[in-house]
Amino acid sequence: MIKNFDQLTSLEIDTLREIGSIGTGNAATALSQMLGKEVRITMPEVRIMGYNEAIEWIGGPEAVTAGVLVKMSGDVGGIMLSVQKLELVNFILETMLGKGIEDYEELEELQQSALIEIGNIMISAFVTALSGLAGININLTVPAFAVDMQGAILAVPMAEYGGMSDYLMTIGGNFVCNGKEIPSHLLLSPDLRSLDFLLRKLGVSDE
Amino acid sequence: MSEQKLTVGIADMKMLKGEGILVTYALGSCIGLCFHDPRLRLGALLHIMLPLNMETGRAHPLKYADTGIKETLKQLEAKGASRSRLTVKIAGGAKMFEIAGGSGLGNIGQRNIESVHAILKRENIRLLAEDVGGKVARTLLFDVASGQGCIRSYGQKDIIF
Repeated sequence: MIKNFDQLTSLEIDTLREIGSIGTGNAATALSQMLGKEVRITMPEVRIMGYNEAIEWIGGPEAVTAGVLVKMSGDVGGIMLSVQKLELVNFILETMLGKGIEDYEELEELQQSALIEIGNIMISAFVTALSGLAGININLTVPAFAVDMQGAILAVPMAEYGGMSDYLMTIGGNFVCNGKEIPSHLLLSPDLRSLDFLLRKLGVSDE
Repeated sequence: MSEQKLTVGIADMKMLKGEGILVTYALGSCIGLCFHDPRLRLGALLHIMLPLNMETGRAHPLKYADTGIKETLKQLEAKGASRSRLTVKIAGGAKMFEIAGGSGLGNIGQRNIESVHAILKRENIRLLAEDVGGKVARTLLFDVASGQGCIRSYGQKDIIF
């Protein structure tokens, strides 16, 4: 049984990276089909970070961003979070609705719905790939949405699993939309027990 | 003015004496507590994440309201602070995401608020002011000379308290 994220072996990390690759790839395909544009992914990363390190990594605590959050339950429990920075928001809005925004404060209801829907589709595509790969069932809640300081958004999965770990594990990658790299974070934060279960299901962890 | 400014991370606490600003960024469900001893002009800012410490070993006291407050009081008292003079102002405990039919997720903020209230009462520390709950993240700045706090939120006016 894994006691903490920093105990993962390199084989286990590789497996998680593979999950990230397939999951993010699926999400990119879903996004591409939805928008009718080419969307690829960059090399996905698995990161295991301390809280304050994670917040620096995502670009500082006070920068405002949009987040779509879905909670997973069933065979694997955890949180999936689509962090949508302005560049991605505008790529989505310009493609779907013909007009972007300068600031999140301009977000109207229709635009917000579009962002939630896109976030939800990407998350669902990721989770579908994950459950197919491991042969497991994962239930998802309806998506929740917030626009606020990203430090507080990222603190949600941290607080949820903070009693078990001092680290946040994120699996995800950037998108390349129409040849341009757009920073996007699709984060999977499983709880520790689920992570253990998942790695055993995939056959890389000892019983 | 070259005022000293110290940043307090998550599950972290810093103290300053005399003059200076303590700041902690983007409190969501977390809570920031500004402890102040006006006579000594001694201030501490604590950033807790969870209500109760149930860890074996308790290696990270500052992550939790109960052990975090106790640890902060211990360090303040070591610098000469007196409980009868100490006051505290708190901010945070928001619910960042509203999940339909969701379980305990999102209630962490509320549980943090309740835990902080209970522990401050038990420790006999006077709660001077608070800005808690709601749905928005807060950046908290604390002036240790005056004991004044300032809360910065996205798309809202600053709150002085």
